Amino acid sequence: MLDNNPRIIGDQRLLGVVPGKPGVGDRQEPAAEDKVMVFPHLLIRHAVAVLFVLLVVMLIALFFNAPLRELANPMVTPNPEKAPWYFAALQELLAHFHPLVAGVLVPGAIIMGLVALPYVDRNPSLDPRKRQIARAAFTVFMVLWIALTLIGFMFRGENWSWVWPWEEWHGEL
Amino acid sequence: MKTIERVRNSTIGRSFFRTPNRVTERDRAAGHWSNFLLHLYPVKVRKIELTFKYTAFLGVASIALFGSLLVSGIFLMFFYVPSPANAYGDIQAIQTEVIFGQYLRNVHRWSAHLMVLAVAAHMARVFYRGAYKPPKEVNWVIGVVLLVLTLLLSFTGYLLPWDQLAYWAVTVGTAMAAYVPLIGDQVQQLLLGGSTVGSATLLRFYVLHVAVLPVALIAVVTAHIWRWRKDSMLTMDADPGGADA
Repeated sequence: MLDNNPRIIGDQRLLGVVPGKPGVGDRQEPAAEDKVMVFPHLLIRHAVAVLFVLLVVMLIALFFNAPLRELANPMVTPNPEKAPWYFAALQELLAHFHPLVAGVLVPGAIIMGLVALPYVDRNPSLDPRKRQIARAAFTVFMVLWIALTLIGFMFRGENWSWVWPWEEWHGEL
Repeated sequence: MKTIERVRNSTIGRSFFRTPNRVTERDRAAGHWSNFLLHLYPVKVRKIELTFKYTAFLGVASIALFGSLLVSGIFLMFFYVPSPANAYGDIQAIQTEVIFGQYLRNVHRWSAHLMVLAVAAHMARVFYRGAYKPPKEVNWVIGVVLLVLTLLLSFTGYLLPWDQLAYWAVTVGTAMAAYVPLIGDQVQQLLLGGSTVGSATLLRFYVLHVAVLPVALIAVVTAHIWRWRKDSMLTMDADPGGADA
């Protein structure tokens, strides 16, 4: 194809477009914000993550049996009487506050606070340095909650008294 | 690859896969778009979303654990009758007589605990990434609903072995409901089906655990993933160079 008016791109004369694979050095790795196809790039990672999780479950299930205590008996209250571990923080609060506070107001406030979070935190920045208040508040809440959960789960023994888990173990899964 | 091509181009293959051979990226996007299972995924994501650091794959882990719970839970349902006279003996039989019974009960128990951890960790990761900010506010709220559903599923399942651990944990847990102002006693009555944990409670928790809550969770998590795809496409369209996604 002859052309009397050759295209000039960046002071270079374009002679033609050649089909085929890119030459050495033409290949560019996509940057962090560039788009990549979900199939296969994300799907293969998800598949690996699923297999890894199932492997972990399999190993735990092979080596640790689920607990089964004696038959339920409404006449015999175990001491200590423990809630499931994810409610251990609430049970620990129950030992210090009125049940209305520990059993209703605190969990209600946590759920409502989580629901309201995106409407309260109107700071549009994703930069950690520009969201220090939100991050600090959330971190304080998390640390408190995990500490309360651990205390209720394994630092409490008979009559909800303080025990050291390495001396007597009262955690129930 | 030749074999795959031939299968795809056969009469049956062409009836199965409507899209043409996925040679160019555009063809592959069209194939992805028309696939029933893949339509909960966006066609493209930003490359940063592939990294472990970005998500730690905690959402996927939660789904995987839920799948493990569905499979092991349906297995356990074949051998379990939710009545105080049968429940405990059935669990003992599952552990001693049913083939792979002990193993699948273990899988169910540990997957349940791990799922609570995974969902909570997923939520924390999303918070630190700031991924609840516009346009993703609603999906964060849906996520809070999923957290509550996960906890309710775990708690209702906790009663079913009908051992001392189950009985008293649920007694402690439901005692808190009685302190809800004004309607506390009615709420507790509704949960227990009586004044104490008994046969009505076991049946209620069982029905919630195997029917109501799993169906609710599947419905809400489907909306959660679908919304994730929609929001991720919105985010990509908003910045230059994202229009092709």
